Amino acid sequence: MVTYENRQPQEDINVTQRHPLKSFAIYAVSALVLVVVLVVIMQFAGGFLAKRVPFSVETRVMDAIGIELGDADASPEMKRYLNELAARLIEHMPLPDDMSVIIHYDDEDVFNAFATLGGNLMFYKGLLSTLPHENALAMVMAHEIAHVLHRDPAVGLGGGVASMLVLAGLTGNAGTGPASSVLSSAGVLTGAQFTRRMEISADEAAVSALGGLYGHTAGADALFRAIAEQRQKSGGRGIEDGADVFERFLATHPIDADRIRAIVETSESLGIPTSGETTPLPAAFKSWL
Amino acid sequence: MLLSNLEFLPDRTVKRHLGLVQGSSVRSKHVGRDIGASLKSLFGGELKGYTELLHDSREEATQRLLEQAESLGANAVINVRYSTSSIAAGAAEIFVYGSAVELE
Amino acid sequence: MIGLSQIVFFVLLLLSGFVIGSVAERRHRKSIIKRELQFNALPAIASRRPAEDRPYAQMLVTGSVVIGSDYFKTFLSGLINLFGGRVTPYESLIDRARREATLRMKEQASQLNASYVFNVKFETMRIAAGRVPALEVLAYGTALVATDQHA
Repeated sequence: MVTYENRQPQEDINVTQRHPLKSFAIYAVSALVLVVVLVVIMQFAGGFLAKRVPFSVETRVMDAIGIELGDADASPEMKRYLNELAARLIEHMPLPDDMSVIIHYDDEDVFNAFATLGGNLMFYKGLLSTLPHENALAMVMAHEIAHVLHRDPAVGLGGGVASMLVLAGLTGNAGTGPASSVLSSAGVLTGAQFTRRMEISADEAAVSALGGLYGHTAGADALFRAIAEQRQKSGGRGIEDGADVFERFLATHPIDADRIRAIVETSESLGIPTSGETTPLPAAFKSWL
Repeated sequence: MLLSNLEFLPDRTVKRHLGLVQGSSVRSKHVGRDIGASLKSLFGGELKGYTELLHDSREEATQRLLEQAESLGANAVINVRYSTSSIAAGAAEIFVYGSAVELE
Repeated sequence: MIGLSQIVFFVLLLLSGFVIGSVAERRHRKSIIKRELQFNALPAIASRRPAEDRPYAQMLVTGSVVIGSDYFKTFLSGLINLFGGRVTPYESLIDRARREATLRMKEQASQLNASYVFNVKFETMRIAAGRVPALEVLAYGTALVATDQHA
């Protein structure tokens, strides 16, 4: 005669006995290390390869894309002046024979200036209108020329694309769920450490060029003071208030107070005086904007 | 109507097999339930709204199976199986099938 | 741009998911064990061949439950997915869902005064509740109700 009963099997044979926080610590650290290491490798590899691409390819790529930079009809006087200033700066930061810069200007109220592929430099009225003297403008322009000289747009693109591919491969993995956005953020932050390094070395090259052009670096920090002022106007932190560790770590650009300090330090190490007479902007500058 | 997922009944004999009968129900949850569930799902635990929804859906599928069996003139469905599939985001099909028979 | 507030929000979600989720899990597990001991008097058997010691009436019984993951489990399993291997946070989730469904099936059988549930089968379905996964488990079988109880 068969008998039927249910006995209680030993608890937790189907459930691994490991504290979830322990698993969390192990996997979170491993995942972060994995993402950071992969992004660093990809940034270096992508940047390294991009630097090997001839500059002429950048120019051709920009021609092929055919993006209209700036307003072609905006203020020819301003463009003439910007070109003339660029020529004077380039004397002190020589570009290789195959490299050249192209200046674009747009009379939009955007607080920005940038360098992109093919040596294209873009200046907006919104930024130029806040600059108090030529030294400040020269600092901005020398910084952007330094980006071209260092091949930063290509290196940034190469490293960025390579690390994005790896990140997409990692986090596109179906089932990573909310972990994927955290891991991509970690990857983006790792990439930000690279762009910050680019900014710092562009600042250093610009300080050296200003020393050559004016014999001093007085007024070179005017832009960063203007940036801080803009931020304070929109309710942000003032230049005297210290940025916290988080803000420093999360930013793509160095904190402006740090950049002002770096200008002084670079000047001193290069033996360039930090005080001197600033050169005024041309009298008609405001009307060219 | 007798419903069983066994293949035979010890003390009764099957007189006639009347064929396969099935019941199916596709349902989706409404937005309100979804919002409630997604809040709940931050903290884990049972999602009662979904349990009830799928339970109701299964009742309906079973009811349809019984109706089919009745229309065949059966008095029992044996070897009943359930099958569930989520056919689209937010919609699930409950399927139940078995052998309609006439017991002595 | 990633702000401090987003980081704080994320950590809060993770922390509350962990604390509330694991308290709920422990409580559920306790209740499952208690009810299992109580229902062991009504055996659930996976055999297709029913008991034949007395005359029985047959009745299909079902039990189902939808159990959701919590934010912490979901996040952790996403990390584990990068490396592969044993997805421990979901092991306990699925285990609880199966046992809860079985208990609900037995509960229905006990209301019919059944002696056994035979030919127990499970159905598991994944449900996407919001963006956090949930699963439904159905347990079903045939309840045997003795017809000579008063004899």
